[in-house]
Amino acid sequence: MEGRRVKIDPVWITDAATVTSLGEDLNEVWNGLLKGETGIRPVQRFSVQNYTSNLAACIEDLRQKGGRSMLHDLLERLFSSLDRVPQDCFVITATAKSGIDNLERLRRGLPVDTQDILPSSMPRIIARRLGLKSDGINISAACASSTVAIGQGAAMIASGRVNSVLICCFDLVTEYIFSGFSSLLAMSPEPCRPFDRDRKGLTLGEGAAALLLMSPDKARESGRSNLGKVLGWAVSNDAFHITAPAKDGSGLTEAAKQALKRSGLLNREITAICAHGTGTQHNDYMELNAFHEVMGDTQVPIFSVKGAIGHTVGAAGGIEVALCLESLKHQMVPPTIGLINPEKGAEGFLSNKPVRINGNYILKTSSGFGGVNAALILGRQKVS
Amino acid sequence: MISIIRGIGWVTAAGAGRGGDYNVFSVKDGDLPDIDHRKIINSRSHSRFGRMDRFSKLGITAISLALKDAELDEWEKKRPIGIIASTVNGCLDTDLAYFDTVIPKGGSLASPGLFAYTLSNSFLGEASICFGLTGCGFVINDQHLTGLKGLRMALDSLDLGESKTLVAGVCDLGSNDIMENSEKVLPCAVFLVIDRTSKDYRGSYGEIMVDEQGSVCFNGTEIEDIFNLVKMCLQ
Repeated sequence: MEGRRVKIDPVWITDAATVTSLGEDLNEVWNGLLKGETGIRPVQRFSVQNYTSNLAACIEDLRQKGGRSMLHDLLERLFSSLDRVPQDCFVITATAKSGIDNLERLRRGLPVDTQDILPSSMPRIIARRLGLKSDGINISAACASSTVAIGQGAAMIASGRVNSVLICCFDLVTEYIFSGFSSLLAMSPEPCRPFDRDRKGLTLGEGAAALLLMSPDKARESGRSNLGKVLGWAVSNDAFHITAPAKDGSGLTEAAKQALKRSGLLNREITAICAHGTGTQHNDYMELNAFHEVMGDTQVPIFSVKGAIGHTVGAAGGIEVALCLESLKHQMVPPTIGLINPEKGAEGFLSNKPVRINGNYILKTSSGFGGVNAALILGRQKVS
Repeated sequence: MISIIRGIGWVTAAGAGRGGDYNVFSVKDGDLPDIDHRKIINSRSHSRFGRMDRFSKLGITAISLALKDAELDEWEKKRPIGIIASTVNGCLDTDLAYFDTVIPKGGSLASPGLFAYTLSNSFLGEASICFGLTGCGFVINDQHLTGLKGLRMALDSLDLGESKTLVAGVCDLGSNDIMENSEKVLPCAVFLVIDRTSKDYRGSYGEIMVDEQGSVCFNGTEIEDIFNLVKMCLQ
């Protein structure tokens, strides 16, 4: 793709933490991915007998305490591996359903803290927990929430509005979400198989990620390391359907092309693509169409981590960005767990084994209900 | 380059309207008016409107009025116009209604039709389909329904060249009884169509910008919230 370059100053990612079914710190999750492990198991948390799947990637010992959502346990685990963040940083949380387990308990007549139910409560809860001055906001864009949030955080820094933004994303596996995807017939009865010809749907997962974005000046001044860079971002809408993507991938193509344009890079400079890769028929087909349209003749490895950690809904993009930083650092893309027989158009691009790469930039994409598509261009730590 | 307000649309307990038709605007507590959507939203939207949840209907109606006010409601080809909406309670009413279909019969009666609207950004997808809008679209969940953070993000997006036209505003069905100790939120949806332009657009309400302190200003005067902004526009 040749286009006008509209390069802006990069935004640094200085800290990254994750909690998923594969482990409670980023190294553990990354190493589990490379070994081909999966956190997908039969669900024990609630009865699944009337649903189309019995599987999810849960953090098994996650607990709800008192009237508080399980989110608090998840967030405490996340913050235990996060360095202290600057008090003046702006917090953007990203979640699809926040502490929706409390709505379930409320409707079943149990005492709960109702504040946990609303996504709008979460930024203040987190800001207070971390001693931040600003109350922040939550961004809701379905399964693209955290990818959109990272782009908006980068935009806030690029516009000079703030010099650091903490992105904190999270979602739980609850009966509420599980029953919904089951009712839409979107879940796979077996562990999901992204980009496989025999894929049968998605497998839900839960997890959280925290990413600290900073202007390079602020990062240097506060002695923070540079784990990677956000070089480009864009969000688009299919204007097609609220629960199904546009099959031709036109919305995602537009987002990816805009993100590339903003980064000042050309498609041939992209090293790998971290796909949304849910394992549903429509999503994976749509993404392949978009990637071929954006990349043209340039062939790069594509991967999805959802066969290992499940689809973590609003947290997916943030967790996957943290994993992209590891990918760039180690010059390796993780295996696409569950892939056996690649879909037409995916042959040669995806593998169920780790693949060596040699380059500096990853295109990260996410899509979600409401027709939303989001794309980020991420850069390796030492590339200017 | 400057940003101008080109269209205004609202639905509040005091009534529904658009900037070009009214010079009085108010937000108050009470029931939202019953609106004959056929008189307000374009013909493409009629077939979809009936299946939407109340939150989506509220938002789409106000967005439709704002686009009509900006003469952007009719379209042939999809357009790269984005929407940024702020809310406190989002689709909480729909969340409750959906889970009430899950509880009986162990989830076997869970309603997919309701589940599709249990995300506060679902109505942006509906609006994008109705009006052919392919720009960015996301919801800001905020503690207070001032609309200022969303307006700031919209203006930054226009400044950074991400969009040329954005619809930005607030949408909320008001406080829900289940939320204890929460700030009172009045039911309303108010949306503005904001354009980035190199010249003074004839017929615009005025210029909107973010000053160096981060305050949102209309024609040079700092605004308190989106409601205050609409009143200033209509003066």
